[in-house]
Amino acid sequence: MNATGEQHDADCALRMEGVTKTFPGVRALDGASLSVGRGEVHGLVGENGAGKSTIIKILAGVYHADAGSVSVDGEPLERIDPASVHRLGVRFIHQEISLVPHFSVAESVFLGQEQTGRLGTAKRAMRERAETFLAETLGVELDGRALVRDLSVAERKLVQIARALIDGRAKLVVFDEPTAVLAAAEVKTLFTAIDTLRRAGKSMLYVSHYLNEIHQICDRVTVFRNGADVGVVDLRQPQQPQVRVPEIIRLMVGRDIGDLYPQRRRSERTRDALEVAGLDDGHRLRGVSLTVGAGEVVGLTGIIGSGRAELVDSLYGLRKIRAGKITVDGEPARTNSPARAVRSGLALVPRDRRNDGLVLDMTVADNVNLATLEEVSTLGWLNRAAAGRRGEELMERLDVRPRGSHAVSRLLSGGNQQKVVLGRWLASQASVYVLDDPTVGVDVGARSEIYRLIADLAQAGAGVLMCSNDPAELLGMCDRILVMVRGRIIADIAAADTDHEHLTALATGGAEAA
Amino acid sequence: MTAETPAPSRADSAAPTASQARSAWSRRIFDVVSRYGFVIVFFAFAVFFALRADAFLNPSNLVNILEGNAVLLIAALAMTLVVASGGIDLSIGIAIDFGGWFAIIAMRDYDLTWASALLVGVLAGAAVGVLNAGLIVRLKISPFLATLGTFFIGSSIQQIYTSGGGQVPFREMSESFRSLSTGAVLGVPTEIVIAAVVGVVYFVLLERSVHGKRIHAIGLQRSVASVSGIRVSGYLVFVFVFASATVALSGIILTAGLRQFTPLSGFSYLLDAIAAVFIGASMHPQRRPNVAGTLLGVLFLGVVSNGLNLMGLDFNLRDALEGIILVGALALAFANRNNRARAVSI
Ligand SMILES: Nc1ncnc2c1ncn2[C@@H]1O[C@H](COP(=O)(O)OP(=O)(O)OP(=O)(O)O)[C@@H](O)[C@H]1O
Ligand SMILES: [Mg+2]
Repeated sequence: MNATGEQHDADCALRMEGVTKTFPGVRALDGASLSVGRGEVHGLVGENGAGKSTIIKILAGVYHADAGSVSVDGEPLERIDPASVHRLGVRFIHQEISLVPHFSVAESVFLGQEQTGRLGTAKRAMRERAETFLAETLGVELDGRALVRDLSVAERKLVQIARALIDGRAKLVVFDEPTAVLAAAEVKTLFTAIDTLRRAGKSMLYVSHYLNEIHQICDRVTVFRNGADVGVVDLRQPQQPQVRVPEIIRLMVGRDIGDLYPQRRRSERTRDALEVAGLDDGHRLRGVSLTVGAGEVVGLTGIIGSGRAELVDSLYGLRKIRAGKITVDGEPARTNSPARAVRSGLALVPRDRRNDGLVLDMTVADNVNLATLEEVSTLGWLNRAAAGRRGEELMERLDVRPRGSHAVSRLLSGGNQQKVVLGRWLASQASVYVLDDPTVGVDVGARSEIYRLIADLAQAGAGVLMCSNDPAELLGMCDRILVMVRGRIIADIAAADTDHEHLTALATGGAEAA
Repeated sequence: MTAETPAPSRADSAAPTASQARSAWSRRIFDVVSRYGFVIVFFAFAVFFALRADAFLNPSNLVNILEGNAVLLIAALAMTLVVASGGIDLSIGIAIDFGGWFAIIAMRDYDLTWASALLVGVLAGAAVGVLNAGLIVRLKISPFLATLGTFFIGSSIQQIYTSGGGQVPFREMSESFRSLSTGAVLGVPTEIVIAAVVGVVYFVLLERSVHGKRIHAIGLQRSVASVSGIRVSGYLVFVFVFASATVALSGIILTAGLRQFTPLSGFSYLLDAIAAVFIGASMHPQRRPNVAGTLLGVLFLGVVSNGLNLMGLDFNLRDALEGIILVGALALAFANRNNRARAVSI
C-alpha cells in the first residue's frame, strides 16, 4: 500500500470507480473513485455539493449510478439495492435522520430487524438491548419507551447510529456527517465506539466537515471536488495537523482560504441587546440568567440534557416558561409564540433545518424571503422580481450551489440548505440573532463566509447568541462563552481566558468554572 | 467562496451516449405526460364529445357548461385555499346551506333588502368557518375531524329547524335577488361574473400576495412557517372563515335560482370540489393546490357531465369517469413525485 491509495481489490472493503451520476440539471458525480481498505477508517471530505452524500447513496442503493463500478470485499456488485448491500454487511448512518416520530426508541432501533420471541416480537428484550447498547456503546441514557419525536436531534442521531450497529454484523460502516449535531463529549464517546469497531476489524467510511476529526480518527482521507476525487491524503504518517489540515483544505477548495475566523474589532459594550433573568420551565431549565450586549457575540455550549436546546426554544417562544423575564433592546419581550418573538426583534436559525428550517418543497427564493415578505411587497402584493433578486443576492453572498433561486430547496445538498436558512435571517433586521448550530454541515470555505457575516451582524450593532458544540468555532468567534450544565449556566468566561480542553471539561462537569 | 471551477456547467459537458439520450427522452415524455396528462385527456374528451354530439360545441351549450358550474367553481376555489393551508374542509356543504337558508329567512321573515340578505347569508357561512377555526386553532383538533364534526352539527341543525328536511320556499323573492342567479352583466350571466370575480380574488390572494406565500408555507411545513415568525393560528382562522364565507355566496346563488332552500343540498358539492382541487394540484410542478388547476378541474367535471348528457348516455357514468380520471391523474403525478422524494429523503 502506498500513500496514493493503489490497492488490489482483495485488500479493499470497498472500491468504487468512475462513478457518474446526473440529476436533472446537475452532475453530482463525474467519474469519482473511492476505495476503503480492510480495517481502515477512511475519511471523505469535500465542499458542500461535492457529491459525498450522493456516492454514499449510490452505495446504499438509494440512487443508481449512470456509470461506474462498485465492489464490496473484492466482489463486484451488479445492480445495487438496499437489501443486498445490507446482507453484505454494509451499514449506513445517513446525513439526514429518518426515524418515525411516533415510534419509540426501541422500535426505531429495531425497525426492520425486529427480534422475535415465542409470542411475536420480543418487546421487552428489544427494549433492554436498545437501552444497554445506547448506554454502553454510545454513552447516552435513553428510555427505550421514549418517543422519537420527544428526543433532541443529538439523541435521534445516536438512535440512528444504534440502529445501524445493533445487530453486530456490520463489516463496513458508513458515517455521513455523524457528529454535526453532537456535542464535544458525545463526539468523544462516538470516537471510542469507532475505535472499538476498528479493533474488531471493521472498515469505516467517515464523512465530515470537521477536518480536525478527520485528522484524529482517519487513516486516510479521500478529497472530492465537483463530483470527482482529487486526491488521497495518508494521515498515518506522523505529521502535525497544522500541516495536514491546510493540505486537505487546498485540495478541497483548490486554493488557500486564509484565516477561518474574521478579525473582529471588539468595541466597548454599551447596552444589552438581550437580557434573560431567572428563566425557568419547571423541568429542564432552573433559573437561567444571561445577557448579550449589542455588538457582542456570545457563545453557548452544553451537552445533551444540559438544557441548551430548551433554553433556545424558550427564548423563541417554542416552549412554555414558568418564570423569568426576557428583555430585548430594553423592552420586555413577550415571547410566548415565535411570531411574537420575531416581532420583538429576535431571529432564530434553528438546529433542525429539515423540520424547522426549510420548507423543502418551496424554492430557494421563497425560503429566503419567508420571514421578511413585507419587504418585497407593496400592500400585500408580492413583487416577484424583487423577491427573486433578493434570493439571488443572498445565494451569491453565501455561495449556495447550484445557483438559481428557483431551485427547489429539497434538492440542495445538506450544507447548502443550511446556508439558505441562514440567508433568511440575514435579510431581516433583528436586534438579537439566536444561531443554533449555524455552521452544521457547512464546508470550510462557506463557513468562513458565514463567520464573516456573523461578525458583520455584530459590527452593525446586533447581539448574537451563538449556540454551538464546536469549541474551535466558539473560541474563534465569541467574546464570551456560556457553559450550561443540568439546566444552569455554570460558567461565563471570556473566550480569551479558556481553551478547547477547559471548555469540554466544563461542559461535562469535569472542571470548576474559573 | 469562489472556487475557480464553475459548478453548474458540468452537466453540459457530459457527452450523452445513445442509451442515455433515449432514457432522457423517455423521461421527458413521462414528465410531460404526468404533468399535462390530464389536459390531454381533457381535450380528448372535448374532441370526442364535439364529434359525437353536434350540440356540444354550440356557443350556448358552452355558456351552459360555465353557468352550470359556477357554483361548483366557487366552492372548489374555497377548498383550494383550505387545502393549500394543509387542511381540508368537509363542512363546505353546511356553509353553502347556511348561506342560502339565512338569506331567505332574512328576506322572508325580516323583510330585509336583497343586499342585506346577501350580507346575512355570507355572515351565516362565515359563522360556520368560525366554528371550524375555533376547533382547529383553540382545541387543536385536526381539520378533517373538526370539519366533520361541524358537518354533523350543521346537518342536524338544518333537520331540526326544517322539520326533518322540508324545503323552505320563497316565491315572492325580489327580482334583484333573483338576478344573482338569472341576471346578466353586459350579456354575461351573473353567476359566471360572480365566479370569475371570486376566481380573480383567489388568484391574487393565493398566487400573488404575500399572504398566499405564507399560507402555502404553513401547508407545506408548518413548523418552518412558525419559526419564521408567521402567525400560523391567525392565518388558519382567516383561511377557514374566508373559505366558508365564500361558499356561502354559492349557496345564495343556488337559492336565488331555485327560489327556495333545500336543506342539506350543499353536500353534493363537497366531493366534486375536493376532486377538482386535487386534479388541479396534480398539474402543478410541485403538486400544490392552485387556482388555475382548480378551474381546469371544475371545467373538466362540467364538460364530462354535459357531454354524457348530450350523447344520451347514462349520467351515472360521470361519477365513474370522474373517479377514474382523479385516481389516474393523481397516480401519474405522484408516481413521478415519489421517485424524486424517495431519492432524497431517505
Ligand atoms: N435528488 C437530487 N436531485 C437533484 N439534485 C440533487 C439531488 N441530490 C443531490 N443533488 C445535487 O447533487 C449535488 C451533490 O449533492 P450531495 O448531497 O452529494 O453533496 P454533499 O457532498 O453531500 O454536500 P454536503 O456537504 O452539503 O452534504 C448537489 O449539487 C445537489 O444539489
Ligand atoms: Mg452530504
